[in-house]
Formats: sequence, structure tokens, C-alpha cells
Amino acid sequence: MADGNSLFKVSIDFSQSHLFFPNIIHWILLILAVLIALTSGPKLLRQMREKKKDDKQTGAPTDWVRLLGTLVLTIIYFSLMETVGDLFPNTGFGFLFTSIPFMFLLSVLFVHQPGRREFVTITLSSIISPAVAWYVLAQMFNITLP
Amino acid sequence: MEFISYLTPMFFALVGFGVVVGIIFGAIPGMTATMAVAVCLPMTYGLDLTNGLALLLGLYVGGISGGLVPAVLLNIPGTPSSITTTFDGYPMTQKGEGERALKTGITSSLFGGLFSAIVLFFFAPSLADVAIKFSYVEKFLIILFALTVIASLSRNLLLGIFSGVLGVWFSLIGSYDISSGGNGEYRLMTDAMVPYLESGFSLLPVLIGLFGLGTILQEAQKGIKEEVGKGKKLELNGGTSFSLSVFKGQIVNLIRSSGLGTFVGMLPGVGGSAASVLAYTQQKNFSKHPEKLGKGAPEGVIASESSNNGLTGGALIPLLSLGIPGDSTTAVLIGAFTLQGIQLGPLFIGNNLDTWNTMMVALVFANLVMFVVMFFAIRTIVKVITIPKYLLYPGIIMMCVVGAYAINFGIMFDVWTLLFFGLFGFLGQKVGLEVAPFIIGFILGKQAEVYFVKSLESFGTLTIFFTKSPIAMVLWVLILISVVFSIYGMIKQKKNNNNKEA
Repeated sequence: MADGNSLFKVSIDFSQSHLFFPNIIHWILLILAVLIALTSGPKLLRQMREKKKDDKQTGAPTDWVRLLGTLVLTIIYFSLMETVGDLFPNTGFGFLFTSIPFMFLLSVLFVHQPGRREFVTITLSSIISPAVAWYVLAQMFNITLP
Repeated sequence: MEFISYLTPMFFALVGFGVVVGIIFGAIPGMTATMAVAVCLPMTYGLDLTNGLALLLGLYVGGISGGLVPAVLLNIPGTPSSITTTFDGYPMTQKGEGERALKTGITSSLFGGLFSAIVLFFFAPSLADVAIKFSYVEKFLIILFALTVIASLSRNLLLGIFSGVLGVWFSLIGSYDISSGGNGEYRLMTDAMVPYLESGFSLLPVLIGLFGLGTILQEAQKGIKEEVGKGKKLELNGGTSFSLSVFKGQIVNLIRSSGLGTFVGMLPGVGGSAASVLAYTQQKNFSKHPEKLGKGAPEGVIASESSNNGLTGGALIPLLSLGIPGDSTTAVLIGAFTLQGIQLGPLFIGNNLDTWNTMMVALVFANLVMFVVMFFAIRTIVKVITIPKYLLYPGIIMMCVVGAYAINFGIMFDVWTLLFFGLFGFLGQKVGLEVAPFIIGFILGKQAEVYFVKSLESFGTLTIFFTKSPIAMVLWVLILISVVFSIYGMIKQKKNNNNKEA
């Protein structure tokens, strides 16, 4: 290839070839990040300054209780599932026994006008749905569950 | 005709079941066809490929179609692709023509769905025949094209590209796969992560996390509001009742909108809302009474619904002939194929003729079931959208967990991946990152790497990407068009914004 294309010539060392493409991606990400900072940075700063003044006017307020509640419950649910599952290996009980309280608590967290009727439906749904899912998947289809 | 032996009663039952569940998902605002497919994936673990696909295609068609119910009745699009249905559907409901609007939409959906299925049937095999001759160079360029198209449709071009490249970055975590010609070395992670991330993040937990958990976190932040209050009564009847005469003079509209939907579906990574917005604006341009559109004209509903169902067949074309998903729902379908050990690409149709034929049967049957179910049971479906979300969302998280855990036969790390990407999707969208380009980048990133590096290893020069073949040059022209188009769009948008501010 002595045709003046030497500028575009690339040779890749095989032992280092796993880093070749990721490096390119890193450069692209970096360049894009700089470009984004240059184009939208000043506008963002301005917005942030303005936002501090009239924070309450912008959009719907964040429902911190439900958002953080969902996160905390999900994390507890995931961690307990494995622990409980280890007590009853290969039965899927870990999934079944943790899903019921999880669904119940999350529904209670989400419901807006709790009343007797709502609690009955929540209780029923949080027992029936995991049980059906567990029976269909673990028993009928032999799918691995925690 | 061997494939007929696959068409068991079970097969049709699964399509029908998928359609009904899909319609329900589509009809509930905030839940999409993508979510329906992602959440129901674990059910396919126990099925074979044909039956699994039957279920998933049913879900896909049902999910896209169901979106018109709340769009017409509540002015809330059930899925992003029925945004334009609200423009005319809801005014019709206000005039007391709810049932007429729904049935017009359902019939248009059927037409769009069947139209795109026919296009798929004839077009995908020939596209695959062309693609079979592609070398690594062309394959890399196709992926590059897919990424530029999707970035060009983002709200912010730079952030769209950034999301896509970030998706590529995440896909590279793990080892440089020996089976595709890499050297098996690890990169982008610490030694402690090797046992978990040896082969990178699994696709499905990432998808389920972004589309399932991520969406629920967003809803939780908004406080899980019930859009369908007890006070709101859903009025269906009164006014003009539905008859096929609605379609008088709308044949051109039907064909154009279905065609546009199918075409937009073919463009890799472009979602359904683009298709229906395009069809709707075109109808407005060509309509004899453009002033009526937006005030309850059936032709608006026809344009919107035939185009978003036209999308279904269109989006399957690049998926089945190139292995590149046409929208986020077909991206989840890729996961289902991988699960069954089938590699999608130009060879797929030729090597799996029976599967291909059964898929076509499933797609056509799904559209027919969708029509029958929605046309005759519309009142029941309308009731279904009143299922309270506080019961629904916990169940969805539960199904997400099953999907993530069971995908690799019981790995808890996949469940944590689900949580991580759920959070990532939620926070990412807060800072302006976009899910769709990210997913496409994530799915195609590893292949892009192999094609790129291998091309350079064998030819040793960057110019090969331009000079390899005429197809390569055509692809560059396409890439250039999509980039120029998006920059033009961005400048136009900026001008509009400036005008508004001034």
C-alpha cells in the first residue's frame, strides 16, 4: 500500500486489540461530553439559577415518599429473595414468600384513598398474583425461581 | 408446506392470549407494547421457538393497537404511537361518537397491520438476499447508519448520539469474545467484577430494567396518579354510529398512512410516534378539509391508527433480514430469539423457513384476533383500563424480577442488573439521556466492535470503509443524509424556539 494512503494506515496489535475499540469509544464520549457542555452548559446554568428562585412553579412536584419507598422496598425485596430462597433450595419459595409482602406493601404505598375495600383487593391481589406466577412458571414450566 | 404441522391449536391460543394481554397493556396509559413483551418474556422460557414467537407477536400487535382506547376516550395516548389519535379521537368522543371513533381506529389498525405484513413477507427475504453478500465493512456501516438515524430523531442531537455511544460502551464491558475473533481479554472493569461480568451485561435484564422498572420509578415520582377517576364516566354512545362508510374516499389515506408507517418502521431504531406524526401531517397536507382535522375528523384517526399498526410489520423487516431492531419492541424480540439460540441476520429466513412462515401466520392471525376482540369486546376493554395502578405496578415489578432471574437459569446478579438499569434509565432521562438510542447502541455495540476491528485487521487502512464496494458508498450517502437532515431539523427547531422567546 505505497499509494500515499499512509495517513489512514492502521495496524492493530492482536494482544491489545481488546482495547482498540473501547479507546475510540472513550474519545468519542469525551468529545461529545465537551460539545454538550459547550452547547447546553450556559443555558443549563442560567436555568438552574432561575430555578432556585421559582422552584415551585415548574412542573409536577416529586413524590419523594413514593419514589424512595419504591426504591427501598425493591432493594429489600431483591436482597431477601435470595436469602429466603437459600432456605428452600430449588423450590422457588424464596420468590413466593418475599413477593407477597412486597406486593402488599408496595400497593399500600401507592394507593391514594385507602379504605376497607381497597385493603381487601390489595390483600387478595398480593397473595393471588405471586401464587399464580409461581405455580405457572415454577411448577408448570419448570422455570428457575429464587 | 411443512410448517403447517407447527400450527397447533396451542399456537393459535397463544397468539390470541398474547393479543388480549397486549391490548390490555397498550390500553393502560404509561404501559407500552415494549413493556408487555418484556414482562411476558419469562412465559416463553418454557415454550419452544414457534409458540414463544406466537405469544410475543400477539403481544406486539395487541400492545400497539390497544393504545387507541385511552387515546380516544381519555385524551391520553396509551402508547407513544397513538399520540396523534388523540387529536381527532378525543374530540369525536366529546361529540358523543366514542364508539364510532374506536371502531374506525380498530378497522384502520387492521388494515395497517395486514398491509405491513404483506410488505414484510415480500420485502424481508429480498433484503436478506442483498445483505447476505455484506462483508464486515458494510455490516459496520449499517450499524453506523442505524445509530445516526436514531440519533437524528432525538430531542437533542448531541445527547441522542451520546446516549447511543454510551450504550455501545456498556455493551463492551466484559471480555473481547474469542468466538467472534477477539483475544478473550477483559476490559472496562476491575478484576473483582470478572465472575459476574465475564460476558458482559445480559441483554434482557438491561431491557426489562430500562423499560419496566425505569417506567415505574418515573410513575412513582409523579405519585402514581390514577388517570381514570371514579368520577369520570366513559361515554361511548350517541351521535353517529359506526359504519364502513367512514372509509369512503379514505382509501388513499389508508394506503399512504400504512405505507408511511411501514417505511418508518423499517428505519432502524425509529419509534412509533414518528410514524403516526408523519402520517397525520401528510393527511393534513392532502386532505380536502384540512380545517376539520384536530376537531374530530375520522380521517385523522384513520391516518394515525393505520400508520402505527403499519409499523409492526415494518419494524420486523430490518430485524429479520439484518438483525437490527426497527424499534424498542423488536429490540426485546431480539432477546427472545437469542434465548432460543437463534442468530438473527441475513441467513435467518433461508435457514429457518418454517419459523419464518409460522411468524407470518402468527402476525396475520394476531391482526385478525386484534380486530375481532377489539371490535366486539370494546366495552369490556374499556372497563379494563380502570384497573387501579396500585395493584398493577407491584405485579409488574414482580414479573420483571422473574424475567431477569430466570433468563440465565437463576443468577441473582441479573436481578441487580435490572435494578441498576432501572435506576439508570430513571436518572438518565432526568439529565436528558434517551433510552431508545441507548438500547440500540447496547444491542449493536459488540457487533460494531467486531466488524470495525476485523475490517481494519484485514485491510489495514481506514479508507476501506469508503472504497470497499458500491454498497459502502451508498451507505455513506444514507448516513450523510440522516446527519444533514438532523442538523437541519435542529437549526429549524432553534429558530422556532427563538421566535417563541422573542
